[in-house]
Amino acid sequence: MVLADLGRRINGAFAQLSRVPVIDDKALDALLKEVASALLESDVNVKLVANLRSKVKAKVKAAIESGADKGKDINRKNIIQKAIFDELVLLVDPGVEPYKPKKNHPNVIMAVGLQGNGKTTTCTKLAVYWQKRGLKSCIVCADTFRAGAFDQTRQSATKAKIPYFGSYTETDPVSIAAQGVMKFKKEKFEVIIVDTSGRHKQESELFQEMVQIGEAVKPDMTVLVLDASIGQAAEAQAKAFKESADFGAIIVTKMDGHAKGGGAISAVAATKTPIIFLGVGEHLYDLDKFSPEPFISKLLGMGDIQGFMDH
Amino acid sequence: FTGLFSRITGSKPLSKEDLAPILAGMKDHLMKKNVAVDIADKICEGVGESLVGKRVGGFGGVKTHVRGALSDAITRVLTPSTSTDLLLAVRNKRAEFNPAISDKRTPYTMTFVGVNGVGKSTNLSKVCFWLLQNNFRVLIAACDTFRSGAVEQLRVHVRNLSLLAEQTGTGKGGVELYERGYGKDAAGIAKEAISYAKDNEFDVVLIDTAGRMQDNEPLMKALAKLVAVNNPDKIIFVGEALVGNEATDQLTKFDRSLKEFSSTAGRPGRGIDGMLVTKWDTVDDKVGAALSMTYVTGKPILFVGCGQTYTDLRQLRVAHVVQALLSD
Ligand SMILES: Nc1nc2c(ncn2[C@@H]2O[C@H](COP(=O)(O)OP(=O)(O)OP(=O)(O)O)[C@@H](O)[C@H]2O)c(=O)[nH]1
Ligand SMILES: Nc1nc2c(ncn2[C@@H]2O[C@H](COP(=O)(O)OP(=O)(O)OP(=O)(O)O)[C@@H](O)[C@H]2O)c(=O)[nH]1
Ligand SMILES: [Mg+2]
Ligand SMILES: [Mg+2]
Repeated sequence: MVLADLGRRINGAFAQLSRVPVIDDKALDALLKEVASALLESDVNVKLVANLRSKVKAKVKAAIESGADKGKDINRKNIIQKAIFDELVLLVDPGVEPYKPKKNHPNVIMAVGLQGNGKTTTCTKLAVYWQKRGLKSCIVCADTFRAGAFDQTRQSATKAKIPYFGSYTETDPVSIAAQGVMKFKKEKFEVIIVDTSGRHKQESELFQEMVQIGEAVKPDMTVLVLDASIGQAAEAQAKAFKESADFGAIIVTKMDGHAKGGGAISAVAATKTPIIFLGVGEHLYDLDKFSPEPFISKLLGMGDIQGFMDH
Repeated sequence: FTGLFSRITGSKPLSKEDLAPILAGMKDHLMKKNVAVDIADKICEGVGESLVGKRVGGFGGVKTHVRGALSDAITRVLTPSTSTDLLLAVRNKRAEFNPAISDKRTPYTMTFVGVNGVGKSTNLSKVCFWLLQNNFRVLIAACDTFRSGAVEQLRVHVRNLSLLAEQTGTGKGGVELYERGYGKDAAGIAKEAISYAKDNEFDVVLIDTAGRMQDNEPLMKALAKLVAVNNPDKIIFVGEALVGNEATDQLTKFDRSLKEFSSTAGRPGRGIDGMLVTKWDTVDDKVGAALSMTYVTGKPILFVGCGQTYTDLRQLRVAHVVQALLSD
């Protein structure tokens, strides 16, 4: 299961907590230390972890001072667990509703992100996903930079039986994107996915090109595709993409590996943008829908969140 | 980093207690630079041990000492203990050829391995460009027979590289692509490519492989088979500077799986010989992945990839990395 190790560590810390006789500052500190180091090992941003730690502490302190624990250790344990659970959910849930493609409307979705993070692969997966749900879907390859980019789209779209548009000779991605979207709109496609080249914040020309493609196709939703293994560079890159492309959703890829995706999770917090899917493999159907609470409770191995949240 | 020292002033020997907050701050600092947590831990532990009991004068003294100790520790990890001179290795292989013993020259072979999307194919092409500039004759073997567009990607690179060599008058040796399309056994294609290279007097064969997750046992076994069958001169692990704590796991498991699954009755398994760290241009001074990778393997970083054109390939400058890691 995704993030299993992190969940195990945090659970272990909770178990430790239920074994200590008195729940005092020391016990809370020990728990938080363990949770924090588990998060750090999962690449969650260093500052975010420090922040989470102090917020949980403040919350617990306030609850105890207000007498919410009725002087009982068992209540204190619940307060602590809930505070941590809530903060973890907040890490992956910015409380923003992502755009949902509508029937009988040409929904334009544009994929952006760092080099090699899985945009092209994910574009086909998304087309297959929405196609299966009754939306006529297609792909526009606006990557004119990467060697073999159009062949990649052509081959994977063909395998998935998804119509595609692109060119071997046109070198201007803005023009291709505009042409493709216009053509598919005319043909009454409902989900038009625009794949773009990989880029990074350090090259402003590449960012400018992304802005221009965006202006040409006016996406209903821009998606940042982010590799689960990214470390501490996640925050700065995600922020820069947010500023230039104003993406409305994140897809974290390669979650089938061992990576825990903490860097990608930090991007959520840095940009207040929700994750909508997880990529979990190289094949067409390796795409999981994402929602924060079940994700965190699954992470912590909690089947019944309701029972857990009761206090 | 500078803020860590305010608590120590006197000139008594440094105690564990004195050092604890400094080391904790140091670890935090390294983690922010994207050094994996366990590696940051171990490095700080080592620095601590080297400083306990040392008598250092005053505030400035402590600071200089600790900084120096950390800088030394990082430099030690990053400094290669084996040769990184690939050109020399290729020339040596060529010099080995003795027409009295065999009628054909054996090419120098390198294979590029790593997880998905890190930059194996692109940086293989950069290495090819560099070899061409040094007048070697290069064959690229398209052994990623899985990912859509993988073969065409290399075809484009080979076309570009041929043109470039022609235009600049370098690369007299020339470059060719050896490909057998998709769906076939990578180990077999690599073998055919090497024998084609032998027949046609290529100096170097660069073997591209499909990206794979380090936990995917069937795929790791297939990679080990390619290694076992072809026994390449260099196995280069390609990792990206963007990677966080995964660096440790990726390298440990690639090395271990390759060794375990490529061993045969007569020969121990082969592991990673060196690393190529890509996307260096995307991380600013957060270059900690380089430290994690060298710490885990004890193997050198042979190249650094710092962009998306053929000339964006550098040698690692240890002093620069140390400076970036220490900077505030
Ligand atoms: N294991 C695994 N591999 C994936 C996943 N998503 C993508 N990949 C692989 O990651 C590599 C890069 O994927 P691409 O789709 O080419 O990435 P990209 O972002 O389009 O790359 P550029 O266009 O070069 O920036 C390929 O080998 C994909 O097969 C995933 O969820 N799991
Ligand atoms: N910024 C930057 N991008 C790079 C660098 N090296 C490679 N890339 C980009 O990373 C993306 C993926 O590169 P590939 O060479 O296809 O990666 P790969 O490891 O062969 O991918 P798979 O074969 O799918 O596993 C491409 O868009 C490259 O242009 C680098 O040093 N810097
Ligand atoms: Mg792509
Ligand atoms: Mg490749």
